[in-house]
Amino acid sequence: MDKSTSQRFVPLKRNWWLKLRFFKLYMLREATVLPLVFFLLCILAGMVALLQGPESWQRWIAFMGSPIVLLLNLLALAASLFHAATFFVLFPRVMPLRIGNYQLPDKAIVAGQWAGVLAVLLLFIWLFGRASV
Amino acid sequence: MSAQQVSTRRISVKRYLPDNSTEPYWQEYELPVDDSTSLLDALNHIKEQLDSTLSYRWSCRMAICGSCGVMVNGVPKLGCKTFLRDFDDEIRIEPLAHFPVQRDLVVDMEIFLDHLAAVKPYLIDDNPVKPFDPKAPETYRQSPRQLARYKQFANCINCGLCYSACPQFGLNPEFIGPGAIALGHRYNLDSRDHGSTQRMAELNRHEGVWSCTFVGFCSKVCPKHVDPAAAINQSKVASAKHTLIALFKG
Repeated sequence: MDKSTSQRFVPLKRNWWLKLRFFKLYMLREATVLPLVFFLLCILAGMVALLQGPESWQRWIAFMGSPIVLLLNLLALAASLFHAATFFVLFPRVMPLRIGNYQLPDKAIVAGQWAGVLAVLLLFIWLFGRASV
Repeated sequence: MSAQQVSTRRISVKRYLPDNSTEPYWQEYELPVDDSTSLLDALNHIKEQLDSTLSYRWSCRMAICGSCGVMVNGVPKLGCKTFLRDFDDEIRIEPLAHFPVQRDLVVDMEIFLDHLAAVKPYLIDDNPVKPFDPKAPETYRQSPRQLARYKQFANCINCGLCYSACPQFGLNPEFIGPGAIALGHRYNLDSRDHGSTQRMAELNRHEGVWSCTFVGFCSKVCPKHVDPAAAINQSKVASAKHTLIALFKG
């Protein structure tokens, strides 16, 4: 029998990622972009409102304070932190860092990235603290 | 349970016999197992004692040759490195995913071999060491530190489990894939090699490193801990650098 006709080939189905927990976690990681898109659209709308004048700025503030928007943005924050947690672990595998002959341990690179997150967080707390005084 | 205690296990094997039927079917076998029975032992028992028509590949039975890869409950594994004692429920054996099946558990791995050849997985050196002269021996020199840079990626045994784990290869067989890219990267990292520019043409394109979305299952199933996902994504960094440099050079 001809090789090409006797061979059986099963194309990958669209629901391939539902079969294993590993793939579901991967899709969850990729899906974190969706709430983040909502947050970015909010920020964009805020900038447009700022250009349009004080009235629309106040409307935007009220919009951002509504429970459903707060909830969606909290979801965006949680999604971003989850994405960061998965991304930070991958970083040392993609870019192993070496200082001279010393190979930085993976844990140090991951801890360094979280330290960066903390530094940015503290910077913003300080900035907002100054702005509200 | 001691190794001598024998019990009976059922395993299901996906059969495909194109001479008899165009459709695959599941067949169940019942066989005696003990604590040390590997999946390969079980397949050998079936072949020798129960059903001589079963086809599968194997050779070394010690995770060196890379021939006995199969899907075990949907996860690619080497038969010789998989033990029945680690499974509580049913055991379903299928041929490696994403490859055309020739017969039972035997797949056609030609596309993987094509991709492997494309990345030139061998030392490329324009000024190689001279033919051996006993009066003035000349050899390549490599320090342990230079060896350590690529050693992990040199452990690949070409078993193809990573290809069966990779959904991107499943969706697009033109993707060069984890194993081949890991080996290309292995030679790019080798201090004796000067072929990275030649390999870049294959690696730095859509079907090369850029098809990878870092699902990472390839590294999870690799029986030799090569971490092909890391190799591909390190290759992305190298490819991006190469593109940028080419852009400025014009």
